[in-house]
Amino acid sequence: MAAQYRNWIKDGLWALAIAGMAAAMLRFTFGLGASTGLNDTTPWGLWIAFKLCFVALSGGGFTLAAMVYVFHLESFRPILRRAILLALLGYGSFIVSLLFDLGLPWHIYMPIIHWQHHSVMFEIAWCVMLYFTVLTLEFAPVILEHDWFRHPIFQMIYRALHVAVIPLVITGIVLSTLHQSSLGALFLIMPHRVHPLWYSPWIPVLFFISAIAAGLMALVLEGFLVERWLGSQVKLDLLERLGKVAAFALALYLALRLGDLWARGTLPAALDGSWQSLLFGAEVLIGGLLPLTLLASRKIRQTREGLLTSALLIVAGVVSQRMSLSLFTMWRPAPYLPSLAEILIALGVPAAAALIYLFFVENLAVLDEKAPLKIAPARVQLPMTWPFPFAERNSLNGIIAHRSGLAVVIIAVMLAVLPIQTAASGALPLNLVQPARGWRILWIDGNRAKYQVEFAHAEHQERLAKEMGSSEEACQTCHHLNLPQDEATACWQCHRDYLQAVNIFDHTRHQQILGGNAACQECHTVEHTRRSAAACQECHETMSPKEGQAAFNPMAPAYLDAMHGLCQDCHAQQAAAQNRPELALCKTCHSLQENPSELQAAIRNE
Amino acid sequence: MSLALKHVGVLVDVTRCIGCNQCIEACVVENDLGELRHTPQQAPDGLSDRRFAAIVESPQGAYVRKSCRHCLQPACVSVCPVGAMYQTPEGVVLYDYAKCMGCRYCMMACPYGIPRYEWGSTAPRVRKCNLCYERLQNGQLPACVEACPEQALLFGERDELLLEARRRLERSPNKYLPVVYGEQELGGTSVLYISPEPLDFLGFHGAPGDQPYPELTWNWLSRTPSVALAMGGLMTGLFWVIGRRMQAEEKRAARNTSSSHEA
Repeated sequence: MAAQYRNWIKDGLWALAIAGMAAAMLRFTFGLGASTGLNDTTPWGLWIAFKLCFVALSGGGFTLAAMVYVFHLESFRPILRRAILLALLGYGSFIVSLLFDLGLPWHIYMPIIHWQHHSVMFEIAWCVMLYFTVLTLEFAPVILEHDWFRHPIFQMIYRALHVAVIPLVITGIVLSTLHQSSLGALFLIMPHRVHPLWYSPWIPVLFFISAIAAGLMALVLEGFLVERWLGSQVKLDLLERLGKVAAFALALYLALRLGDLWARGTLPAALDGSWQSLLFGAEVLIGGLLPLTLLASRKIRQTREGLLTSALLIVAGVVSQRMSLSLFTMWRPAPYLPSLAEILIALGVPAAAALIYLFFVENLAVLDEKAPLKIAPARVQLPMTWPFPFAERNSLNGIIAHRSGLAVVIIAVMLAVLPIQTAASGALPLNLVQPARGWRILWIDGNRAKYQVEFAHAEHQERLAKEMGSSEEACQTCHHLNLPQDEATACWQCHRDYLQAVNIFDHTRHQQILGGNAACQECHTVEHTRRSAAACQECHETMSPKEGQAAFNPMAPAYLDAMHGLCQDCHAQQAAAQNRPELALCKTCHSLQENPSELQAAIRNE
Repeated sequence: MSLALKHVGVLVDVTRCIGCNQCIEACVVENDLGELRHTPQQAPDGLSDRRFAAIVESPQGAYVRKSCRHCLQPACVSVCPVGAMYQTPEGVVLYDYAKCMGCRYCMMACPYGIPRYEWGSTAPRVRKCNLCYERLQNGQLPACVEACPEQALLFGERDELLLEARRRLERSPNKYLPVVYGEQELGGTSVLYISPEPLDFLGFHGAPGDQPYPELTWNWLSRTPSVALAMGGLMTGLFWVIGRRMQAEEKRAARNTSSSHEA
């Protein structure tokens, strides 16, 4: 059965990895905005959460190295190589995912040149870089044991690595301690984002300890998986002892986490019934206390089912902690939903890592220190022969043909299916104005201010038609129908008093009453200009101001001034009297909203 | 090149702002930000990669200008792994594209949620107010301050702005809340506000406290060397001690077997 399903699993992994590559092409062609659901308020999303999990699940690498080399627990040596391979691939996944996540991935080397030691991320960059090197060196002997590397130079390197193993291991432990904890420390500076049930000044320590538990349990899981799919017998007693160590780490992690929440008085918030608190409860109970109880019993621990269950629960619990903290429960003002491309890249990277794992396991002495895993050749035919139906199955040529055919098809389908968000988001200029609508009352951009105002169209039409005697002329007052890209006349072109104070003196009327052109002399004694005209008071004696009043002013206030004058003084007085400063603010009557009817609503209410 | 001024800042008097957006327009022209576009990545507050500032309405309805606060101890500067976010001697927080790797940690860490990203670009920049640093170097005012028709924005030395702010609070206590926003929070900011209404909503999620954000990390990060030394020492020590004991054990066992042989 194993061989039968192995091919299916491999094909599934290939499909995921290739789909991830297709999504990656999108991401690099169109940018982050087009390919991800990330936005200005959620600049970190799914990829960061996955990266945290990759590193947490790689915690077995340094833990096992410490157990074998520092604590001299030689009995664990048989699983040391796979622990280091798992860590190597975990960190590889981290680095590759980072290349997709970084906006400018070709600047990834910058932390080497520009040092900024106040940044946690700077420290992580260096630690991960160095630790990946350490892991490569720790794993290199396994590669150098292969027949290809018989040359004396390789043998020399092999021996040198053997001599250097203790310093390497200790360096690896120190680096792991630093960056496992620092990945948690990344979130110390964002108490405004992290949910209080996951935030703690102890996040770094929590991350470190939980990485030990999760890393060891990931090894246990891997042991069972390898047994099931690759047929390599698991050493149950070793895994059981790993479970015991993980249980200690888990207990410490839970005690510290709950103790800190309790000490800071945050824990009661866990009981408020929100979905976050339920998630927290599930994480602590099902992903923490339950496996701890299971592991505490030797009887359960020694059974396959018991060990596997607790491994699954612990891994799930720690993954949940990483994902909840960095993704699910993080506060965000605008929603974030990972895009399909984002999910495919997130899954494609570990799928590719799994394929590399299989490649290493099949070709190098990883699972067994003496020889590569012997896998019986698959008897099941490869599932797909199209589009190379004549390629011989199971030959090298056939496999290349099948895989590349598969790859081409999947990439094509993915590129066709993946939504590109830029196309939808397009460049829409901000313009609050919409076409006039309505009939008796139209909504128009009457003042060319990009805001809608109410315009009594029917009323204007009727009145102008009556004054001018023809409805055609009336329409043309505002609509110049023969001009291209015609805009109607703006309100202020007729209503001159709208914004500007105007002179209310009506020359025509005075002329008519005084008897036509013969009467010019009445006011214009010297020459016929406005400047030389007589003052109003010379005729209109009663219009003269009384004692203490301001001089007569023929300038009438503009509509705007008049309206403001009606309200503003009283508003200012009341603001002071009632100690309600907001009364004097413009916003009290005017809204930033484009709908001016709000202004009228405010006036009506007053 | 540094300025003649020691520590610059801007005082925003919320009561004077009429929400006319002329400061925003000046900013757009000065920084060549171009036409506003609606993208799915944009936050509701109006700031984006094409807008360094926006007039937002407070919950009670005052017009409040939202832009970079130029913190005295900026979170964005402290988290940047490559120093692409940096602070000039005058307290202006600037961004250097040449160093940036695009990790967006600055955006995550900013307690006011100010930096924005060019999501539509394949070589994206972080975008935020630069207090018109180039104009300052030429002895000009920031574009927004120059454009404000109501003098709601005041540019100057931060100390003097604080004095002016307190003078206004004393002169018209009914008009303002008795706080200068930005004097204390997070260790202080260069952009100060006086307001008739609480401005806590300007914080990304809740009002920021008085503790400077970089301290939150530095408390941990400053221990890195000692943790590394302790862990390294511990592991080396354990390796040596356990190894020696095992050797001694083996020797004793060997001696025992040999002595039993003799007997």
